[in-house]
Amino acid sequence: MTEQTIGLISFVLTLMVFSYVLGDLPLIGALYRTAIYIFVGMTAAFTLVVSYEGLILPYLQDIQNTETSWTTLGYQADIYIFFTALLFGLLLLLKPIRAFTWLTNSAFAVVIVVGAAVALAGALAGTLFPLLRATVTIPENLTADFSALVDTLTVFIGTMTGLFYFQYQARANSEFGEEHSRLTRAFRHTGKVFIVTALGAIYASAILTSLTILSERISFLFQFGF
Amino acid sequence: MGRAGLAGIVAFAVGLTTVLSLLLGNNPALFGDQPGSEELARRLALPGDVLLRLLVIVIALSIVIGIVNLLYIHIGRLTRGKFYSAVLLASFAFTIFWLTVNRGDTSLLEAVQVPIESALAALLFLSLALGGARVMQKRADIWGLLFVAVVLSVLLGSLPLAELAPVRAFSAWLLAVPVSAGARAILLGIALGTIVVGVRAVLGLDRSYRG
Repeated sequence: MTEQTIGLISFVLTLMVFSYVLGDLPLIGALYRTAIYIFVGMTAAFTLVVSYEGLILPYLQDIQNTETSWTTLGYQADIYIFFTALLFGLLLLLKPIRAFTWLTNSAFAVVIVVGAAVALAGALAGTLFPLLRATVTIPENLTADFSALVDTLTVFIGTMTGLFYFQYQARANSEFGEEHSRLTRAFRHTGKVFIVTALGAIYASAILTSLTILSERISFLFQFGF
Repeated sequence: MGRAGLAGIVAFAVGLTTVLSLLLGNNPALFGDQPGSEELARRLALPGDVLLRLLVIVIALSIVIGIVNLLYIHIGRLTRGKFYSAVLLASFAFTIFWLTVNRGDTSLLEAVQVPIESALAALLFLSLALGGARVMQKRADIWGLLFVAVVLSVLLGSLPLAELAPVRAFSAWLLAVPVSAGARAILLGIALGTIVVGVRAVLGLDRSYRG
């Protein structure tokens, strides 16, 4: 495909998507929906090709190669792993048949629990421990700079009260959340200040990112169309 | 114990094995300087490796099954004369044909996928700007005011104008201190939530896999 053809298709599709701004008029709405359905069909095709070429095909080639192995168990184990996975895939397909529910549930259980275990280990080792360490670690030469000391304390208090705010929300939504002491209210409000501030900054960042993309698209439309 | 309990036992055994293998495996420092510590760490990592490999292949197969299901639904809708299903199926078939004929070619991605994704991301600006403007209409309280003030500070702070240097400095402090603290609290909250859900799933208390 030449640069000119790519540009022309991009131009037309961008206008089709931007027609959404004009509202749900009979012909205009059809343009937007057509672009979205093209997008979904193409994304499904790309995903299928990437899943096959990037995951399934390399595994198929790997298990045919006797000199390589995924684990320390050797080449034979790869074949067992691959065919067990194929069996699991087959069991997922049998889900609508009630007679096999107990068997498909066991396959689902393995998939879901291994996923949950990976998330659990990742949350512990990748988020919880590093963030807690970063929050409670006192930076070097802190005593020399008073403002740095205040900032570090603010981050610590903000993180702890923010976490307390989540815990408070959980309690408040439960049947035991009746007690509201002044101290817990103060903690809750302090935590909420930090959470709202973070959410506001994330929102502003999203606005800035989408504004940058919008200006790039408008610039492309003017460059190509006029 | 009936057949229904089998899934629970499988879940517990597999979950516990995976967690222990991922946390303890490939980490000889945990076992001190003893002679066999490296071998022990390597052996502990093995069940996790096998189960992860299995999970990746099953996920790839699930994606394929999901796409086949999408096509099946739209073929059904096509027989009832739905125009957009025809568009989706034609787009899918054309992409598969293109990628089969022109292997490794990314021009279709550049011509269709990237512009539609960019245009949709650009449309997000209008929704976000409108949503931001409506916050004060819907929630005219101290929290709504704080939210809008932070959004405006960060937006003004990003402008490269000399007159706005104090706002830029304030915005930089805002991002470095209170936003950092709030974001850490949110991330820690997510991590704690993930841990709770993970532990419940591993212990078989949350049986979301039951049909």
